[in-house]
Amino acid sequence: MRKFRLAAPLMTAVLVLAACGNGDGDGDGGDADLPEGDGSILVTSLWGGAEEAAFQEVLAAFEEASDITVEYEANRTDYQSVIRTRIQGGNPFDVAIIPGVGFFRQLATEGSLISLSELGIELGDIEGQFAPGLLDYGNVDDTQYAFMAKLNGKAAIFYDPQRFADLGVAPAETWDDLVTLTDDLKGAGATPWAVGAGDGWTLTDWFEIMYIKEHGVEAYDTLFSADGDWTDATVSATIERMASLLTEDNIDGGVEGALATLFVDAVAKVFSTSPSAELYYGGSFVGGIATGVDVNPALAGQEGTAIDWFPFPTIDGAGAGLVTFGGDQIAAMVADTDTAEFLQYMLSEEAGEVWAAAGTVIVPNTNVDPSTYPNVIMQQDAELINAAEAIRFDGSDLLPGGDLGAVLQSALRGDDMGSVLEEFQTTVSTAWEAQ
Amino acid sequence: MTALQDTTVHAPPRTLSERIVRIIGRSPVHIILGFIALVWLVPSIGLLITSFRPSADMRATGWWTVITNPRFTLENYERVISAEDMGSAFINSVFITVPSTILPLIIASMAAFALAWIKFPFRDTIFLVIVALLMVPVQIGFIPLVVAFRESGTGLLTTYGAVWLTHTAFALPFGIFLLRNFFITLPRDLIEAARIDGASNVAIFRTIVVPLSVPAIAAYGIFQFLWVWNDLLMALIYAQSGSIQPMTVEVTRLLGTYATEWSLLAAAAFLIMIVPLVVFMSLQRYFVQGLLAGSVK
Amino acid sequence: MTTASPPADAPAATSGTSRPGRGIGWAALLFLGPAALFLLAFLVYPTIYTLFLSFNRGRAGGFSEWVGLDNWITLFTEDPNFLRLGFPPSGALWNNVLWIIFYVSLTVLLGLIVAVMATRVRYEAAIKAIIFLPMAIAATSIAIIWRFVYSPDPETGLLNALLGTVGAGPTAVLGSPDTVNWALIAVGIWGSVGFATVILSAAIKGISSEVLEAARVDGATETQIFWRIIVPMVSLPISVVTVTLVVNVIKLFDLIYVMTAGGPGASSRVIAFSMYQEAFPQGRFGYGSAIAIVMLLLLIPVMIFNIRRFRAEAVQQ
Repeated sequence: MRKFRLAAPLMTAVLVLAACGNGDGDGDGGDADLPEGDGSILVTSLWGGAEEAAFQEVLAAFEEASDITVEYEANRTDYQSVIRTRIQGGNPFDVAIIPGVGFFRQLATEGSLISLSELGIELGDIEGQFAPGLLDYGNVDDTQYAFMAKLNGKAAIFYDPQRFADLGVAPAETWDDLVTLTDDLKGAGATPWAVGAGDGWTLTDWFEIMYIKEHGVEAYDTLFSADGDWTDATVSATIERMASLLTEDNIDGGVEGALATLFVDAVAKVFSTSPSAELYYGGSFVGGIATGVDVNPALAGQEGTAIDWFPFPTIDGAGAGLVTFGGDQIAAMVADTDTAEFLQYMLSEEAGEVWAAAGTVIVPNTNVDPSTYPNVIMQQDAELINAAEAIRFDGSDLLPGGDLGAVLQSALRGDDMGSVLEEFQTTVSTAWEAQ
Repeated sequence: MTALQDTTVHAPPRTLSERIVRIIGRSPVHIILGFIALVWLVPSIGLLITSFRPSADMRATGWWTVITNPRFTLENYERVISAEDMGSAFINSVFITVPSTILPLIIASMAAFALAWIKFPFRDTIFLVIVALLMVPVQIGFIPLVVAFRESGTGLLTTYGAVWLTHTAFALPFGIFLLRNFFITLPRDLIEAARIDGASNVAIFRTIVVPLSVPAIAAYGIFQFLWVWNDLLMALIYAQSGSIQPMTVEVTRLLGTYATEWSLLAAAAFLIMIVPLVVFMSLQRYFVQGLLAGSVK
Repeated sequence: MTTASPPADAPAATSGTSRPGRGIGWAALLFLGPAALFLLAFLVYPTIYTLFLSFNRGRAGGFSEWVGLDNWITLFTEDPNFLRLGFPPSGALWNNVLWIIFYVSLTVLLGLIVAVMATRVRYEAAIKAIIFLPMAIAATSIAIIWRFVYSPDPETGLLNALLGTVGAGPTAVLGSPDTVNWALIAVGIWGSVGFATVILSAAIKGISSEVLEAARVDGATETQIFWRIIVPMVSLPISVVTVTLVVNVIKLFDLIYVMTAGGPGASSRVIAFSMYQEAFPQGRFGYGSAIAIVMLLLLIPVMIFNIRRFRAEAVQQ
């Protein structure tokens, strides 16, 4: 179905290229092969709230820079179904921002996405502005379909420096230090951890950062691929390590309480006006949440003094330069001059700066200076990512099926993980096969 | 009427002691029914109150605290209508629901009339097939129909057209079933007499059957109206453009990326509820009659 | 007018009993035609299409690759989200069974009890209206109302606030596979008791008062009257309500979709949700079609029941 609409522009492109004898990624040369856009594009993502507001600023800047109007449609729930039904109905979005790599790959192999080179964007030209390996996520069968639009590092343990000073503790750099820190906090009469286990994905973040640090990049890549084996000993080792830290006494509310706590409420346990815990692990976006209207707006402007984070510690001495992150990729579903121009804009430094200044996300463009970010929380994250030895996409977003969050909730609850992991392995491998 | 009803109204207690005895004797019933009424009202009232509370309050305390600390605002409704597009979604809901109610009404009553009062071969078999079709779930249609709409090149999916057609189609089996069962209870003599007088089927339909069947038709109309107004799934699939989506779809947008904005969600939920509640309360009689007609003979 | 036979050239007259077979085509076609067209195009054709798609891979909704019974075999033997036989069993299909057992029986029972009790009080109409109200509300709204009640935060969710007053900790009822299905069934019952009450109430009023008086005079207790007289006498409406509720269960979607999206994991899925989930987010259209056909198969006994009941009534006329 996709293919019919591509036939004409593709043929034209081939003819023109053959005539010009010029196939490089120069913007103008590429554009000449694309059908004229109609002056407006429809963009979708699942962002809402503060993230959407930040993105709208970028869109507004684009509308000013070009003559193209942008309509944004948020699809919070059931994002994948909406995209699919629109494609099936012959009404695809012009541009889609896709959070799950598994879903992205499906769309690419189905032929629902336009390759970047077709839009005049060549891989060789943009490689330089992305951290190594980042563009791999947008590559399917040697064709580049998407690039990372934004990301947030997920290696941050948030705390309140002032309270730390009062309690006489300091950030940890190794796992053992972290365990000691936890004990010290308990000793000082405070509750160490707040965990939003009610939202399973927060637990997947825990698992992923620990797994990559404990077992390394290769093991991580294998686990979150079709060759992954969830019944492997490395998996249960990490889960056990997690459970050894996230115990009844170490979490505010205990295990049951944590399972009843959702993400934002857990952040509030550390940063609200009446806090009950000292440490929250999550992505750099936690900063925006903690200083936002849902938790404690009074903290805004106090980044560095009343709210800060330290990087997730090394495990067994390894994993210092390894970072997991969550992000969204951007791809075009319709090939015309408008979408090409939009994607070009999204690659530009200007777009990057507008977005970075909004303070909710990290922009993958390495040319954007970390000082553009409005506060230390984001600046530190940008620096961490830029300096990382290797960064890896949030594993659970790489999986084509299965609910890792639910598995980890079981682990926290103390269920027998043998059968749970076996079932999970079955679900996941079936999903990989269906790709 | 039956004695079950009579005992409550006749022979009211005369003396105080009789009253007390009666209340004590009845109190388990009153208590249980009172409890039930509470369970059925409180959840909705909680959400209603939340929709009128400032969101800062909502985050800090539970809605039950308004009893001691009332503080209300319309800001949630304002935000939801203007900033979140609920206003246009409301209009979409109307535009989707009204034709999706009228069209099946017309088509189903026509078909029901044929099945009730026109003799033709295989009539009963066709009716049985339609009764069987009652069971076809809407899911069956999704894949084939979306593909079919696309291939037709009519672009119906980005207009109200696709939703109107699919809602109408899936409403027909129930409508035909309900109306046909009602039509056959109409006085045979009346219709026969009209036939003998030379009246055409169209005339009989228009002047006899329809006027006499207003309760049943109204009941079906109300059912269908509520069903379409409250529908989420069909709109998700067949309304493929942001500009035509009804409130049920729009409200799912309010589920935040990280946190749930209950204040907004509550206001939106009630905006969705207002019309059906008004329709239902004012036309309750027909609705119940319709239910009964379809179920109890 | 006169007793003369109807004029031969009036086509309508021949559609009466006097001359079957002549000219009926037009009238029937006119009245039945539009409905027939809609039904064939939107119900019959998709059913056949989906049936065939279930034997296919179904990439992007088309007939991309024949796979025979693969989808079916996987569905029943290798998909723990759909059906896992074990002790205790789990999976979407099993959840539907739970719903059929508990949701249906409790709704009918509660509906019956309320119907009977309501007849004893003056505010009967009000009580019935209150209980019936959820029928008018969208499943989406009901889901929002109850998600709010179930919210794990005791400052937001009524349930946890009440638990807090007796000292029980906050629980995430919707977040635990052990409790989620029961929590959902409770909401389902809440939404449907009104339906049962209204129908059964009308049926109960049809019971002759003499029978009840006679029983009371004989010394029967209210409970005995309830179980030995009322229930058997309204057994037909009970069966109608039951069948309607069973159909509801098989088609159940909105509530699950908005309240839990089948979660946590896949523990609260039901087959209608599974069909949607496999087809759309997952893109496995052939597989999803197989699930849709399963739904249809499960509804066939109901179809037969309806047809039989209809036939029985037709005979009575």
